[in-house]
Amino acid sequence: MPSGYDAIVIGAGHNGLVCAAYLARARRRVLVLERRERVGGAAVTEEVCAGFRFPVYSYVVSLLRPEIIRELELARHGLQILPLESTLTPLPDGDHLAQWSDPDQNRRALARHSPRDAEAYEEFGRLMHQMARAVRPLLGMAPPDPASLDPRELIGLARLGVHLRGLEAGQFHALCRLLTTSAADYLDQWFESEALKATKSASGIIGTLAGPRSPGTAYVLLHHYMGELDGVFRAWGFARGGNGAVSEAIAAAARARGAEIRTRAEVAKVQMRNGRAAGVVLASGEEIGAPLVVSNADARRTFLELVGAEHLPAEFADAIRRLRFRGSSGKVNLALAELPRFRCLPEGGPLLRGAISVSPSVEYLERAYDDAKYGEFSRRPYLDILIPSLLDPGLAPPGRHVMSIFVQHAPYHLNGGWSGTRREAFGDTVIETLAEYAPNLKGAVLHRQVITPADIERTVGLTEGNIFQGELSLQQMFFLRPTPGWAKYRTPVKGLFQCGAGTHPGGGVMGAPGRNAARAILGNRA
Amino acid sequence: MSARVIVIGAGANELVAAHLLARAGHEVLVLAERESAATEAGWVPQPVVRALGLERAGLAIERPEPWIAAPLPEGGMLELWRDMPRSVEAIRRLSRKDAAAWPEFCARMARLARWLEKLYGAPPPDPLSLRFALQVRRLGRRGIEDLLRLVPMSVADLLDDWFESDALKGALGAAGILHLHQGPRSGGTAFLFLHHHAGSPEGVFRVPRSNLARVLAGLRGIEIRRNVPVARITVREGRATGVVLAGGEAIAARLVASGDDPRRTLLELVEPGWLDPEFARAARALRARGVAACVAATLDRAPGFKTLVIAPSLDYLERAHDDAKYGRISRQLHLEARCEGRQLEVQVQYVPNEAAAGAELGEQVRRALAPHLNGATLGKMRVLLPRDLEAAEGWPEGQAHHAELSLDQALWMRPLPGWARYRTPVAGLYLCGPGTHPGAGVAGAAGFNCARQILRDAGRT
Repeated sequence: MPSGYDAIVIGAGHNGLVCAAYLARARRRVLVLERRERVGGAAVTEEVCAGFRFPVYSYVVSLLRPEIIRELELARHGLQILPLESTLTPLPDGDHLAQWSDPDQNRRALARHSPRDAEAYEEFGRLMHQMARAVRPLLGMAPPDPASLDPRELIGLARLGVHLRGLEAGQFHALCRLLTTSAADYLDQWFESEALKATKSASGIIGTLAGPRSPGTAYVLLHHYMGELDGVFRAWGFARGGNGAVSEAIAAAARARGAEIRTRAEVAKVQMRNGRAAGVVLASGEEIGAPLVVSNADARRTFLELVGAEHLPAEFADAIRRLRFRGSSGKVNLALAELPRFRCLPEGGPLLRGAISVSPSVEYLERAYDDAKYGEFSRRPYLDILIPSLLDPGLAPPGRHVMSIFVQHAPYHLNGGWSGTRREAFGDTVIETLAEYAPNLKGAVLHRQVITPADIERTVGLTEGNIFQGELSLQQMFFLRPTPGWAKYRTPVKGLFQCGAGTHPGGGVMGAPGRNAARAILGNRA
Repeated sequence: MSARVIVIGAGANELVAAHLLARAGHEVLVLAERESAATEAGWVPQPVVRALGLERAGLAIERPEPWIAAPLPEGGMLELWRDMPRSVEAIRRLSRKDAAAWPEFCARMARLARWLEKLYGAPPPDPLSLRFALQVRRLGRRGIEDLLRLVPMSVADLLDDWFESDALKGALGAAGILHLHQGPRSGGTAFLFLHHHAGSPEGVFRVPRSNLARVLAGLRGIEIRRNVPVARITVREGRATGVVLAGGEAIAARLVASGDDPRRTLLELVEPGWLDPEFARAARALRARGVAACVAATLDRAPGFKTLVIAPSLDYLERAHDDAKYGRISRQLHLEARCEGRQLEVQVQYVPNEAAAGAELGEQVRRALAPHLNGATLGKMRVLLPRDLEAAEGWPEGQAHHAELSLDQALWMRPLPGWARYRTPVAGLYLCGPGTHPGAGVAGAAGFNCARQILRDAGRT
């Protein structure tokens, strides 16, 4: 059915939008189809209750590729990122640990707990910067196929080898270790303060069913140093207007280049003709043809639901079934009548404007994982909290606040399944946990929104609620993402490409999969 | 300067190294702190067998059949054999699907194991070398994809991909956590599973035993002094110059090869002050945590099995490790029992080195085994806790592998990244124990690789 479109993008998540914008920039006629009423996927801002707007799912910006910001002129399309300058870890004994992006301030704050850590921190930071620099070029690369005999693939492998050989021996060794060891074991070598090790290692378990002592969690430490804002490594930020504003800016950039975006347009099937993708069929029955279909949905949804196993090589379908999702993150969004008063920080102050991390010790995080391993949400979960209204007062009515609480672990495969009652029990646990540090919290809650992995799956369409469209574990990374042999955005179905976080380099509001996919489609070699 | 080479320790690795060096014309002195009581576990790679003519010397690898028996909750045993149809038949009683998957699983694993075996008969590869790239590519597409995916994954994920029976997955999965302070849901345990498969025929996932120690003891050409603990490795101007014994006797040497664990060798034996602080920090951070106790007993009659595993499911093993994670002995123990005649030897996991007491452990093991002894009665239980094993065998913290065989301490990262080729920052000091590549379970290979490295280095100067 000729429609005049060169390409259809299924799903207007940030990666789908990035991909569409790049395709449109190359003068392709692109149609983006989004099931929901708004663009953004998991990067949306919604008014959850009157006057209170939340970054409902994803809530920080750190990994958004600077070349995307530049090339798509996102600043001109309204993107503004407000820096997050600190992380506060309240401790059960009423004390707290503060980390600052300002090195001097940071050293002073850490020295209060351990002068040795304060000293080691700078060296650690230097090494991490070097490592992040070493890994950064890999993010923008379509991973070469290690098993192919195609000369182009061999050249890609050789270039990868040359890149890695170009690293100093010490850096390569550190990289090998980071890829294989656990966050806690890695940090044990550097630091002694429990709260510092726990707070840093917590980044390794975000989105993954793992504990800080699980091998493979150390690598994600690097991601935190890879976040680049205005060229400054390791700056985290909050988008003015919430992460929905990031999606809106990318959508505006795509539209400005001629892409068409339709919301409330759910794709039911990828249309197959003569063994190749020829368009899509909407849930409404409408058919739209195009020679190229790009899926922003995760691999399981794309291949097993939209395409159908009958159109796939059996081994490929098996590989897709074997993908590990195991969503393990939840979210609690609170509308607050007043700011929380932390026992460790009765005066409030600038630390509330940064991230707040409930991660008092490595053992605390490990126990949170133990619960999840056997199908229960953590009795005492890890919480990563932001109060966005302190950075962007427009999100809440005057004097009121919105609080975003990211929670780990809430396993998708909950014993007995998720129900309304279990969801509320989960919400209670989160609030109880935080109230131990900020006792006024319970009384301050005007409204709460509790989101489980099952909710994420149902609302946003992420399989098993996995926020990365598939676990970011070593067995599902780089040339293995999403499956071995198909890491270059192409698929066994001719005319069908993937552009979501389920492809290299993975999740986070990074945009790199969308950009890499567009480049692969346009025939640009990475 | 003396032309002598001193080898510290008289285990399989040390003796292999000593003999190879002696045959290359070095005067070798082996200093053994103790009479090793441990039976040699492990297969012997072909290059080692050939280099020392071990076959002629009577090397025998002992492979029990069935290679494992696992009690089933509903009674009876799951027995797995080298004989494929026999295993398939046994598995079919648990799951038709698993029985159908078994031959393919075994073939895919065996292919990777054969590849690993080649890697183990040589020093660890340089992962960025063309040579290694070609080695990997020889596996073919299926093999490469299997390898890349399997190595970092957890043994639980690997087995969940293939099988549904808890009993089968528990019995297999136990091979991924032997002597490791991790549970089967930790990344890298699939690698350890494969490591323990290497050297065994297709379909056998346990390390065999051999008489290597006895065979090596019968070879001539080296001098061995026993019961002489080495107190210090002396260093002058960054070069090892010999050793000082606990009794005070100093022995000069041009080269020293230590089969002791890397941490003790570098941080305790080497005279202080010679290591740069960053290296010393990395060495201190080497993980060698003992997690297994050894229980031995005599039965009044043969119990009807040669090898028995108690690991009824992956979750059982994972929960066993949960206890260990917080420093406690597992409430539900994972047992690997071997029986020869009426002599029973049980490896008990997890018994973390720091766990209190453990006097009850013998009784706990007795209770766990009792239902599976076919009416035989256990005599007095002799319990060796990790700390006893440290004293008796010199295993650091009671860790039999000297350094845990987790992925971050394996291959070119074993024992330490940048120092995987048996050399140390002290010139003339080499490591040759299981703390180096390829590690425990591969008898004599580390010693073989180390000796070759020494000879290569000697040829250069």
